[in-house]
Amino acid sequence: MVVQSTEVPEDPVDALAAVGAMRRLADRVEAAAVSQAISDGWTWAQIAEALGVTRQAVHKKHARRVESARD
Amino acid sequence: MFERFTKDARAVVHAAVSDAKATGQSTVEAEHLLLALAASPELRSLGLDREQLADALIEEERRSLSVVGLSAENYQQRKPASSAHEPRFGASAKLALQRGVKLAQLRGGRRFRAQDLLAGVLAAEHGRVPRALNLVGIDVDELRGRI
Repeated sequence: MVVQSTEVPEDPVDALAAVGAMRRLADRVEAAAVSQAISDGWTWAQIAEALGVTRQAVHKKHARRVESARD
Repeated sequence: MFERFTKDARAVVHAAVSDAKATGQSTVEAEHLLLALAASPELRSLGLDREQLADALIEEERRSLSVVGLSAENYQQRKPASSAHEPRFGASAKLALQRGVKLAQLRGGRRFRAQDLLAGVLAAEHGRVPRALNLVGIDVDELRGRI
């Protein structure tokens, strides 16, 4: 199997900026997906398992936001 | 830390915090301070309004993501998604505040003004603020010199 190496640009400036942008994007995708899952009736334990984090971590990060959005 | 801040500088910090919160972000960053400073005479003299600065930041992220082949069309950056938590100050905003305070001290000023905050935000060599400003053709070095 040939594993393609990721081409890293010579100047790190764009790659470093991309990392920050990906982190912000990951946060947005996570927030939207967790809200959707909760409104579809998922439990926090199921969401945590799908994300690969603990139930406590996902609950701490999202519960207040999701619950305040439902009010 | 905020006791030496002028009324205007406080208003900028509050606006930056509100903006981060209103767009569902967990941290206040330098770009939120920049947007909150959009009404300052220095930025207005460049012919840029808040909307244009916000668009420049969106474009900055779009380009950064494209470097790794990503597109975030379905996950808009400034979609209102109010965060229930009070956002914390992120690394870039902390640096901007520290640099602004230092520059104000060098100036010998007793008060910390919105202008000092802008100088602190613009002191960044890297990050979203200089990248976004470059995208709209702003010479950040020249702008720093004017403040």
